[in-house]
This record gives sequence, C-alpha cells and structure tokens, in this order.
Amino acid sequence: MKIFPVIALFVLWLVLSASYDLIHVVMGIVTAAIVVWINPTAAPSTRKFSWLSAIGYMPWLFGRVLKSGFHVSKLILDPALPIKPELLHYKTNLRSNGELVVLGNSITLTPGTITVEVAPGELIVHAIDAPSQKDLVSGVLDDKVGRLFPMKERDK
Amino acid sequence: MTWLAIFLIVVGLFFLVVGSIGILRFPDVFSRAHALSLTDSLGAVFVLAGLAVYEGFTFNFLRIVVVLLLIYLMNPVISHATLRAAYRSGLRPTGEKDK
Amino acid sequence: MNSFFFFVLTTLIALMLVYLYRVVRGPSIYDRVLGLNGISTKAIVVLLVIGTMFERVDMFVDISTGYAILNLVGALAIAKFLEEQGAQEK
Repeated sequence: MKIFPVIALFVLWLVLSASYDLIHVVMGIVTAAIVVWINPTAAPSTRKFSWLSAIGYMPWLFGRVLKSGFHVSKLILDPALPIKPELLHYKTNLRSNGELVVLGNSITLTPGTITVEVAPGELIVHAIDAPSQKDLVSGVLDDKVGRLFPMKERDK
Repeated sequence: MTWLAIFLIVVGLFFLVVGSIGILRFPDVFSRAHALSLTDSLGAVFVLAGLAVYEGFTFNFLRIVVVLLLIYLMNPVISHATLRAAYRSGLRPTGEKDK
Repeated sequence: MNSFFFFVLTTLIALMLVYLYRVVRGPSIYDRVLGLNGISTKAIVVLLVIGTMFERVDMFVDISTGYAILNLVGALAIAKFLEEQGAQEK
C-alpha cells in the first residue's frame, strides 16, 4: 500500500472535520487507509508529475484567467456585442492522459476558450473571438503544460 | 483586512453580474458557456477568496480554500461535458466558420 | 459587516433569478443544463456567505462541499444521458 495517498487523504480529513478528539482522528486514518486499499490502481497518470513546476504554473494560469476575464467582460458590456465564435481544430503534441486533462482544464477555465472535444493529439476548441485564441495558437500553453510532465528517460 | 475582504467580494460580485448579463445576451449555447466560465472561474472564486480573508488564517481559511479548489477542478469538467453532448448531438455554433 | 453580507446575499439571489430565466426559457436543453450549473455554483457561494454571517463556517463548508459534489455527479449524468439519447428538443 502506498503511504503518500493515505497521508494526503488524512490531511484532507483533518482540514474538513471540525473536531480533533481521539476517536475522530483514528476514524480519519482508518477511512483514508480503506479508501487507498480498495483503489489500488487509481493513479491519474503514469507519467511523472513535477510539483515544483506546478507551483509556478498555477499563478501564471490565474493571471491569464484574469486577463481574459477582463477581455470577455468588455465584450459582454459592449452594446454592439462584437463576438466572432469559431470552432478551431487545435493540434497538440501532448499525448498522455494527464497532460490532456491539464491542458483541457486550463483551456476551459480561461474565459473565451472552451474545450469541446478531446482526442489524443487533437482538441476542438470553441473560441469567442480572435484575441482570446492568441495564447493558444502561439503554443505557449502547450509548452507550459508539457513542462509539468517531464519526460522520463525510457519515454523518449 | 476587512477592507481587503470587502474589495475582493465586490470584484467577485462585479464578475458575477457581468456573467449574468452575458448569459442573457449571448446568442447560442456555446457562447453562453463562456459567460458561465466567467462567473465560475472569476466571480465565485473572488467572493470565496474575500470570505477566506475575512475569516483570517485559521482552519476555516483552509476549509474555504478546499471549496475554492473544488470549484476550480469541477466547473471546467461540467461545462466541457455539457458542450461535448451538445456538439455530438449535432448542435453547431451560429456564424461558425470551421477551419 | 452584517448588512454588507446581507447585500451580497440579495445580489446573489437576484442573479440566481436571471439564471432561472435561462432554465425556464432556454431554447435548447443544453442551455437549461448550463443554467442549472450556474445556479448551483451560486448556491455554494450563498451557503458560505450565510456561514460567515452566522460565524459557523465549519458547518456550512461541509454542506457546500456535499452540494458541489452532488452537482458534479448530476451534471455529468445528465450530459452522458443527452449524449447517448441525442437532443429530442432543439
């Protein structure tokens, strides 16, 4: 049994449970252990995930969400509603499940672009106008997500 | 600290109001999802961040942050699933130029 | 501060009425699903604001977490169903 998921689930229990007497803490440890025991293969991705880059990635993503949020607010409040909706087929060179989940989630979180369909290597993205596609088409996001999952030697 | 909390909550309310205007004005389901993602990923998160700042750095702060992360993880999944269902059942955006 | 929270609650509930309009009138069934999703996000925020008002956030956080997870499961089930059924109602 892996020890890291047990500790993570137990910390979540400690944060959410409001009482810290002995019986509740022991119940938390037992529940976390049972959950890990009945899900032995529940790994989200087989690739290595770099937590260090994730710490840098999240503020960058939030800044980007904020910027395009102001852009979309300007579009909504404009009386003429100058939108040009477009479905674009976006080719990416990310293949594994973990990378695609992070990429699709980041695209959908950003106002102005939404993932509609996902396949390995190709995403169908609905963009509301030309400026909101800019980061996506220039490949910045692709690059950043790729850095979250560093290649192991045998994957190359 | 209280003023920072009020500022964050007011910014969040601004985004929530703008998102609601957007969901009334946009022409089709794909564009309305953009307004929804504006309310979710900026409006609700700013209001919750304001509440967390108002609580101060206690366990309640961490609890609100857990709900905030839950919103960030779940809402993209829901709008993606809904739009994929719309796309696969043959709905297309108005004024689309497929490239 | 209490009156400020009351103002926030009133605004949030007024915004939920806007989404309710989209749920009732929405031209396609997907608009209704999206409107319901927006309402439940606002319901999570409303619960936490109520909790802060009554200084019982530890209790209301549990309720809103449960609400959020139920909302996720419900929305995914509806989306899956519509995907396989196709839209009867355009």
